[in-house]
Amino acid sequence: MKLALLLCLAALVAATAAHASEQHPTQAELEGEVMCPVCGTTLDQSSSPAAQQIKRVIARGIAAGDTKEEIKDRLVANYGESILAAPPHHGFGLLAWWLPIVGILTAAALVGIGAWHWSRVREPAPEAAAPLDPALERRLDDELRRFEA
Amino acid sequence: MARPVRLAAQASAVALVVGLLALLVWRVAHDDNANVSSALDKGNHPTAPAFDLARLDGRGRIDLGEFRGKKPVVLDFWASWCTPCIHESKRLEAALHRYRGKIEFVGVDTKDFSEDARSWQRKHGITYPSVHDGGGKVLAKWGGLPIPRIFFVARDGKVVGQLVVEEDLPRYLRQIAES
Repeated sequence: MKLALLLCLAALVAATAAHASEQHPTQAELEGEVMCPVCGTTLDQSSSPAAQQIKRVIARGIAAGDTKEEIKDRLVANYGESILAAPPHHGFGLLAWWLPIVGILTAAALVGIGAWHWSRVREPAPEAAAPLDPALERRLDDELRRFEA
Repeated sequence: MARPVRLAAQASAVALVVGLLALLVWRVAHDDNANVSSALDKGNHPTAPAFDLARLDGRGRIDLGEFRGKKPVVLDFWASWCTPCIHESKRLEAALHRYRGKIEFVGVDTKDFSEDARSWQRKHGITYPSVHDGGGKVLAKWGGLPIPRIFFVARDGKVVGQLVVEEDLPRYLRQIAES
């Protein structure tokens, strides 16, 4: 019960933080989510003139009170979707998000089916033991009696 | 596992591997390095790859293919963040007045923010029309970065050269004006 409550609380805190980040993005977080169009890195790792230009565009958007989505939409309209460091959560970009999960689930299912299959293949039962030689049996009984005595 | 199921699984795995191999071969065969600039470096004169992009000033579009057979074209790839582009675009602006009516001058503002690009044109007095290639897809077909890159397209649509040294500009302008 306590664990469920803690999980709910953590989810609530995470959702609130995500909402705040969406409504009031910071320069640093956007620079980590947007690519520099000429250097192949995110903006925070580049000081090229093209990166500086986009940093100014982001700063203007933040100063104007734009949301993260509005700023990103403006950049995508200008540069195309390749300007985003992560693929979008809609359209064809969804594939990039879901394909790894589907792959992992499929692999897990295959391993599970394989394990279930292998666990059903039993080793052949050992053949019934051959009756002991009467002399040997007598000797064994004697030994046991002596041991118990 | 039943024999038909196992066979089907094996066939699917083989088909997947063959498919991936075919994709790899196709990718290598359609190498992105095959662009106008590399073709010129090899001594070829490729047909100018067509594009149809919106003008930076919002006055419609420019379709490069429409000039084929009608007018030679100078194609100037630039961006407002590119410092050497100022010098080259100003040289082209000067040439525009000399070759007006004979040669079409078209700028391609690439990997740039369009508002900044318009301010840049006004600031430096560049009057020939430019299209906006924000994602750089057209630039990639012509050779990619670095910019400035200036290409000279003859009347028949063949690319005759690109600006490498300063002396190339008057030489190519004369050549395509007479094409």
